[in-house]
Amino acid sequence: MFILTKIADLVQIAPEDFGKQSHVAIEDNLNAKYANKVVQKIGLFVCLWDILWTSEGLIGQGDGFANVNVECRMVVFRPFKGEVVVARIASQTREGISLATDFFHDIFVPWSELPEGSEFETREGLWVWREDDQEMFYDNNEMVRFQVLSEEWHDQAPSGPLDLADQPASELLPPYKITGSMKAPGLGCAIWWEE
Amino acid sequence: MKILESQNGLLSNYEVYQHIVETQKRNKSYKRRVPGNLATLMTEVLTYLREKPGPLEKQEETGAYSPAAISNLLENIQQESFQSELAKGEFLSILNLRPDSTAILSVIVEDMEERFTEDEQNRLVQIIGDTLGRNEPSADAGTDQKTIQSVENGI
Repeated sequence: MFILTKIADLVQIAPEDFGKQSHVAIEDNLNAKYANKVVQKIGLFVCLWDILWTSEGLIGQGDGFANVNVECRMVVFRPFKGEVVVARIASQTREGISLATDFFHDIFVPWSELPEGSEFETREGLWVWREDDQEMFYDNNEMVRFQVLSEEWHDQAPSGPLDLADQPASELLPPYKITGSMKAPGLGCAIWWEE
Repeated sequence: MKILESQNGLLSNYEVYQHIVETQKRNKSYKRRVPGNLATLMTEVLTYLREKPGPLEKQEETGAYSPAAISNLLENIQQESFQSELAKGEFLSILNLRPDSTAILSVIVEDMEERFTEDEQNRLVQIIGDTLGRNEPSADAGTDQKTIQSVENGI
């Protein structure tokens, strides 16, 4: 579910942070820049894992920032294809079920990836799995296991004013979206499978 | 920023958990304030990892996961000399999910039915339970028992 990604970056330490120890200042700087951010085709950055190498701090012309080149490793959330992950049911529609973990919210299981015999109960607004005369509801906030099928990336770099007019801000696609499956036995609500 | 290596290594949930807990402890002892986005995310990831049915729910009390326990698990599985070996990703998923039934194991291990005999599957679940601990069943689990049986047989 989590991977390590090795990056190189230029860290600029502001004069007010000179009171901190260098490694602390670098750590804060990298975390402030990357924690909780999606980097395209890499994943959701969680936090700094370790610092591998740093250069001397150089002060350039015009400001008092100390410029340090850093090589480090970051913890990144990026489940691999086929991995089974636990998440919570966030909301449901006729199209399928939206899942979320506490820190990542763009997971979707389309109706075609629910087990056979699943139906959408319009009155309740919930999906239900009918198997051998038993009804099992996908209740909201229930913990489920799902398998990662595919991922989608949408670069959210700002577009020009002309493009922006065509596409209202509310329709921005999520930067990183996971499509999952709950078809196979063992997937779906966790309490169904307790021994 | 330059990406030097997009995947330098895989981390298990336990390692991430340990890293965050230690970072928080260290910051607390130095009375350090971390950037807001990091503080939020660290709390959220910890909450997620401590949630049922995650195996780290009671890690603080039981200490079931440790570097020794993980190498024990690997050794115990190797000692059994099953007819097929587990892939790296499969072993990682076992660590992250701690499957307590063959049904859950079957989604983690690809083509499990062909690679392992039924006895081996049960043995594997048992080894996992013995080395990493087991989940306590929740109060309302009993009602679903029959369904699980019927679905398992239909695999």
